[in-house]
Amino acid sequence: MSDTPRWRRYLRFWGADPEADIEDELRFHLEMREQEYLAAGLSPEEARRRAAERLGELDEVRAWLRRHDRKKVRRTERVRSAGALLQDVRYGVRRLWQEPAFSAAVIAVLALGIGATAAMFSVVDAVLLRPLPFEQDERLVMLDRVDVPLRYEGERPPRSVPDLTDLDSLRSVFSQHAAYAPGSLNLTGAGAPAHVNVALVTPSFFSTLGVQPALGRPFTAAEGEPGAPRVAILSHGLWQRQFGADPEVAGRSIELNGVRYQVVGVMPPGFAFPAETELWTPLPVPFTFAYWEPFRMYMPTHVIARLAPGVTAAQAGERLLALVRAYREARSPGGELDPEITAASLVRPLRDFLVSQRRTALLVLMGATALMLLIACANVANLLLSRSTTRRREIAVRAVLGATPGRILRQLLVESLVLSLAGAALGIALAYAATGALDALLPARLSGVAPPRVDARVLAFTLAVAMLAAVASGLWPALDAFRADANEAIKSGGPVGGTARGAARLRRAFVSVELALALVLLVGAGVMLRSFVAVLTTDLGLRPERVATLELTLANATHGNLAARREFYRSVLDRLHSVAGIEAAAVVNELPLRGGGAVGFRVSAEGKPPAAGEEQPVALYLRVTPEYFRAMGIPLLRGTTFSSADGGASGPLEVIIDETLARRLWPGEGAVGQRLVLPQGVRTVVGVVANVRVRSVEDEDREAQMYLPFTESAPSYAAIVARGSLPEGALMQHLRDAVRAVDPSQAVYNVRTMEQVIARAIAPRRATTTLITIFGTIALLLAVVGVYGIVAFGVAQRTREIGIRMAMGARTGDVLRLVLREGAVLAAVGAAAGTLGAWMLARVLAGLVYGVSPRDPVAFVLAPAVLIAIALLATLVPARRATRVDPVEALRAE
Amino acid sequence: MSRSNADLLQGTLGLLILKALAGQELHGYGIARWVERATGDVLAIQEGSLYPALRRLEDRGLITSRWALSENNRRARYYALTLAGREHLREDAAVWLRFAEAVTRVLRADPAAV
Repeated sequence: MSDTPRWRRYLRFWGADPEADIEDELRFHLEMREQEYLAAGLSPEEARRRAAERLGELDEVRAWLRRHDRKKVRRTERVRSAGALLQDVRYGVRRLWQEPAFSAAVIAVLALGIGATAAMFSVVDAVLLRPLPFEQDERLVMLDRVDVPLRYEGERPPRSVPDLTDLDSLRSVFSQHAAYAPGSLNLTGAGAPAHVNVALVTPSFFSTLGVQPALGRPFTAAEGEPGAPRVAILSHGLWQRQFGADPEVAGRSIELNGVRYQVVGVMPPGFAFPAETELWTPLPVPFTFAYWEPFRMYMPTHVIARLAPGVTAAQAGERLLALVRAYREARSPGGELDPEITAASLVRPLRDFLVSQRRTALLVLMGATALMLLIACANVANLLLSRSTTRRREIAVRAVLGATPGRILRQLLVESLVLSLAGAALGIALAYAATGALDALLPARLSGVAPPRVDARVLAFTLAVAMLAAVASGLWPALDAFRADANEAIKSGGPVGGTARGAARLRRAFVSVELALALVLLVGAGVMLRSFVAVLTTDLGLRPERVATLELTLANATHGNLAARREFYRSVLDRLHSVAGIEAAAVVNELPLRGGGAVGFRVSAEGKPPAAGEEQPVALYLRVTPEYFRAMGIPLLRGTTFSSADGGASGPLEVIIDETLARRLWPGEGAVGQRLVLPQGVRTVVGVVANVRVRSVEDEDREAQMYLPFTESAPSYAAIVARGSLPEGALMQHLRDAVRAVDPSQAVYNVRTMEQVIARAIAPRRATTTLITIFGTIALLLAVVGVYGIVAFGVAQRTREIGIRMAMGARTGDVLRLVLREGAVLAAVGAAAGTLGAWMLARVLAGLVYGVSPRDPVAFVLAPAVLIAIALLATLVPARRATRVDPVEALRAE
Repeated sequence: MSRSNADLLQGTLGLLILKALAGQELHGYGIARWVERATGDVLAIQEGSLYPALRRLEDRGLITSRWALSENNRRARYYALTLAGREHLREDAAVWLRFAEAVTRVLRADPAAV
């Protein structure tokens, strides 16, 4: 076969070479003219001169022709190659259509790989890559250790850390700054009463983020003064849902927890910062408890800032660190700063803060999908290789008919591309269906702020992945199919021995790689599953079974005074106590594990002031009614619960502490009866309870906790808890009914079982674990199908050999061993390589696992064992078929 | 199809080429010679424009070309009229003749008679 590329033949239409053709044509013309003049009797010199003269500027003509012809060649080539590509695509589609089962299998495998990758990418893109919906989001930072100035009972407490007013003097570092505090309130006066997520924000909040209301106006500076008229800005979603998208909404009055606010604006769609906020109201500076009170007495305030032009986060961090240090020095000269406080911790890029630890999980999952995609590609390569024997003859025929090697190779790759594009289309559909399910993977602080979606970016990414997959899965099979000796293939007409063996070797290599990659995923899934079991079996310090809860926020207007609130809670509990089947009912100001914060106070033992340099322990503070421990199933280790609902309001003030605090303050002594010093006074310890994981299931710090009688202050935010023998649904309904019976207008929310509360707390881990397990299982299946394919193919190829062996007296067991050995070797090689790979990659799981080592021996032993067992099982099917070979039949064939 | 007179004048060389090819297949030199002979050596083609004009006609699909041996056994590029070219020639020739006739009539007219 000639080596001339096909396009050259097109040039031969004019001749070998367009440039030489131009030369020939012009020379022919000149010579003919010259002869004419010679015939007319001119001298040769004269004839040549006159001929050239008639043609004019020869160089110009030649240059023009060259330019023209070159352009024309390029144009024709483009048209031709586009036509050929189209022809290849048509041919490819037709071929694949002829083998629907094969094509469907390949497309399904690719769709799994590409779809998973696309879906994960949509999440990674939203969380880590795509700009946040703020102006120049990379210039936004989150500040730590900066307070919002507070006015407490008319006075400002002494400052111990910098506050917002200090930032005003750092304009050269932070061009703008704002504080926000998320919470939730009851909304009335617009549609049905609803409980909405509210954020208190300083008026500079919107301009700092660089986002303006789509309707109406932002807050004015005056609206950020204490005592200013109360105003609110709505989210686009809330405006549509509760206000019927009223274009005249600005100026309307609404009530938040019974307090009147005037709507001044609506934010553009998609703006929900901080997480899922539906309504913004001004955060007055200095802040007072009057604003704080409806927010369940607890409200995390955050300070964000925009870096001044040219200032880096690190530089800004140093400036803030100096300021924090100065305050520390002023408070206690010579004191050391907490080692956790660094320039990097004080000023963090906003995205880092929002994403926090989810980054690792997302990257691990993205890596897992990439592995799965690789396995899918290897699997498809394997499937394509299995056809290369049959394809070889067809290719040889085409080669003999004049197709060039490049053209044939391209034809094969186009087939792969058609397959992988079909896979990608299906994969995108899968990814689209999965986006909602992937929400659990989002960092809580980003939920609603940057939702993942399948958009042009994801589509472009998927297209690129599909191209890569086409090459990765198609190149090798194409080259292999191609290596055939054309004459050989046509002449023999039967299976081509030598090269088929080469293909088989290649396929075995692919299957080993698949097994190894699958094992990496499987081990990862094993470690994550073990870790998840560790989470589930963690002793939370409470028993969530048969416990139902609901949350509510009392309006100031109706329950403004302490007596009214006490009366409300008492009535609700009384009703619950009267229900048969409810064993215990109680009220708590902060439900464990609901993801809200709890406040901590520094405490000490009376008569034992902390030694110099010794940190005073911080104890989380919860307010509960006496039955809380019974309702929640928190073991009371020593002493008793509160003597009465108001916790000894008549006698000495009571407190219940957890074992951590007891051990810390009174090691080796009984804590019951001791006196605990709190900022608000001294209390007597009446009981010691187990430590409860209040903040997070995985929190291994075992923060100290203390419980104060709920009724002392009867906060307006509360969770009501009931334990009973009733079915969960009935239990929740009784809770609802009890509140409604006391006050029909009172909104309740988050009515759920305690088990649901915990499930939600571990939902991100569950999602990560589930996904990686699914990926591992799919990978295992794909790899096992690969094993089955190669072994079955081997058996089919060796039917004759097996027949001879059996004719020579080999027994069933011998044949079985012969075939099983092939599968066992594959599995062993794959398992060894995979275990090694998993061992080396284990470190990436370090940030994700809980309670087990990233190199958990159980996972590292079990996963390879499972892999080998299943691979052998897959081998057993073709092996049994081999034992049924009829020697006579086998020998007669061929 | 009506075309402006400027086009017509510019297309004259093309028209001559097409006419030259109407009867036979010719190489570039042959086309030049044919025109000279047909006009009794009155019109000599601008040879510098001949080859670009041939390329343009070929681009427009009015003529085709191929390499063949010439009468004196040399390798030469021969041009031939396509069907489209023949059609084009008929139309353009008609327009040109009408135009020429009009100009001739004007030039022969008695200035006083109009």
